[in-house]
Amino acid sequence: MLDTMETLCCLGGVTGGEDEVRDYILERAMPHADEIRTDPMGDLMIFKKGAKAPARRVMLCAHMDEVGLIVTNITDGGYLRFDQAGGIDRRVLLGKQVFIGPERVPGVIGAKAFHLTTPEQRKRVPAMGEMYIDIGADSKEEAQRQVHIGDLAAFSDTVVRFGDGFIKAKAIDDRAGCAAMLELIESDLPCDCWFAFTVQEEVGSRGATVAARSIEPEVALILETTTAADIPAAEGDKQVCRLGHGVVIPFMDRGTIYDRELYALLGRLADENDIPWQTKTMIAGGTDGSVVQRTGGGVRVAAVSVPVRNIHSPASLAKVSECEDQLRLARLFLQEMAK
Amino acid sequence: MDLTELTRTLSNLSGPSGFESAVYAWIAEYLRPVADEVRTDALGNMIAVKRCGKPGAKMILLDAHMDEIGFIVTGAKDGFLRFGMLGGVDQRMLPAREVKVLTDPPMFGVIDTMPPHVLTDEEKEKAFPPDKLCIDVGLTQEEAERLVPPGTPVVYGNTFEELGEKYLCGKALDDRACAAIIIKAFERLCGEELNADVCCLVSTQEEVGHRGATVAAWSVQPDAALVVDVTHGRMPDAPEVPCECGKGAAIGIGPNMNPALSRELIALARTRGIAYRPEAVPGGNSGTNAHAVQMAREGVVTGLISLPLKYMHTPVEVVCREDMDAIVELLAAYVESLEV
Repeated sequence: MLDTMETLCCLGGVTGGEDEVRDYILERAMPHADEIRTDPMGDLMIFKKGAKAPARRVMLCAHMDEVGLIVTNITDGGYLRFDQAGGIDRRVLLGKQVFIGPERVPGVIGAKAFHLTTPEQRKRVPAMGEMYIDIGADSKEEAQRQVHIGDLAAFSDTVVRFGDGFIKAKAIDDRAGCAAMLELIESDLPCDCWFAFTVQEEVGSRGATVAARSIEPEVALILETTTAADIPAAEGDKQVCRLGHGVVIPFMDRGTIYDRELYALLGRLADENDIPWQTKTMIAGGTDGSVVQRTGGGVRVAAVSVPVRNIHSPASLAKVSECEDQLRLARLFLQEMAK
Repeated sequence: MDLTELTRTLSNLSGPSGFESAVYAWIAEYLRPVADEVRTDALGNMIAVKRCGKPGAKMILLDAHMDEIGFIVTGAKDGFLRFGMLGGVDQRMLPAREVKVLTDPPMFGVIDTMPPHVLTDEEKEKAFPPDKLCIDVGLTQEEAERLVPPGTPVVYGNTFEELGEKYLCGKALDDRACAAIIIKAFERLCGEELNADVCCLVSTQEEVGHRGATVAAWSVQPDAALVVDVTHGRMPDAPEVPCECGKGAAIGIGPNMNPALSRELIALARTRGIAYRPEAVPGGNSGTNAHAVQMAREGVVTGLISLPLKYMHTPVEVVCREDMDAIVELLAAYVESLEV
């Protein structure tokens, strides 16, 4: 499970360009799938039969895309201007390493040396439009030989395991969920299940919107990650959730009021199986659940999320045990659906 | 070792100001086979000497500094490390930043960000105040207190990579790229018949006030010194910066340099076809070790050769390999041109 997640985190899949991730998942899922669908947006839908047919059609859902950058222009000097692809706090960008386009051209996000800034500028983070990527090209022509306007740039892809069972990587949001679903596909299932690997969650759950219409689930479980702000600078409720305190079962976020029965079911399953869990102390964030819930005549939706520090940054952090518990809880959920 | 590989190795070593021993040890080991003498001193400088064996030979000092900017742990709260700065850190670079905590063995850490929801609208426009940031090492308070005592130094994580065909990027290229340059020039000179003795000084604690070079220049007693450090390279948001990466060595002219030596270096670069550009350096203190070296003992004939570098004091400093080659050539050419 962890190896799968590490491999998935290293792939480039900035929102709108999820091909690498989809190809990898498809290759691994193919021998285990009973039906495979894709759609014009790029979603990957896998159906796998289990021990029995559930009373209601079940779908698990995780998104393949990650936040990143998109090249908007190339300057005469050979530097790349960019905008965000998905929501990024621009303060995490300065001085970071990225790789651009399918050829993985390395670049760094530069900024005028602070010695040359005024005291005011020193406290201010440049606007996204003022930043640039340096790929070591001396001219526009030289840069254009390697990158193009519209190319996507992803954060540096080294994975590190450290501390007391922690993992650092880019794109843990939501390769953690993708890894859990891939593990399920490669194992025996208690009941038939659809797995939706969606695109473009980070720009408005656009892939899930159409994937859910194709699958037409009656019950859906979203496997996601969620913001943890459990750092000394944030106190009390503002921490939202905390690493090491279990997977997050949300009752509500900014997009969805989750199905109350399923919320209670997940909490009970976790309790009965000694899986630590918590819920969020702030109504924040959102998942593909929002669009899945409002598909067709309506879908019962729940979510299980892994708490992630520095989410949407090159150095997002998660607790390995909580990634594994997300998978365990999803499996228990399917066992329950089989009853 | 080729200049790019040497720079990669040096960039990835950990040695913030005052804690340079790992850098010292590596360079000393590397130069011992070629130098006549490799020694250190109370401040941890790396001093390698090659003697030409001729009576009355002059001593030429080549200097670059080995220390890098970094951080120092001041305490722990909830398992997160509090830290102060070692040298001039660009604080805009810190959020979501990977670091090496220099325990034995070193520990991976990340400087955490504050998610937008915990900030006011006004705070959202500003860089994170560094006193609110902390290093996440994934430990409990008890473990953090036990394993990472106050006073533990921290540096940026390794970032070295080649950008395009000509550029090198990494942490601590200020001034390890120049350390690589003087080591390379020294290696070359060690294999030649010379008319002067040469000292390769890779000095400590430059970032906190040229402290290593102050004492090393005293003990080495050079007749002339060439200090090699970085200067700002032109950046898209700093078009006014005079030196451009890729245009060769920047030869300093100003009160901190001996005018005759500056002229000599320029003449040498011109006749040998070495890419260069004069760099006017106003003021008595160039902000480099040249300041300390020039005023060592009763004064030293000092020159300053600078390597243009973009994004100084960030973890992704960028230099041009061609500029580095030019400076190696210029340093070697200078020593080779000396007569008895």
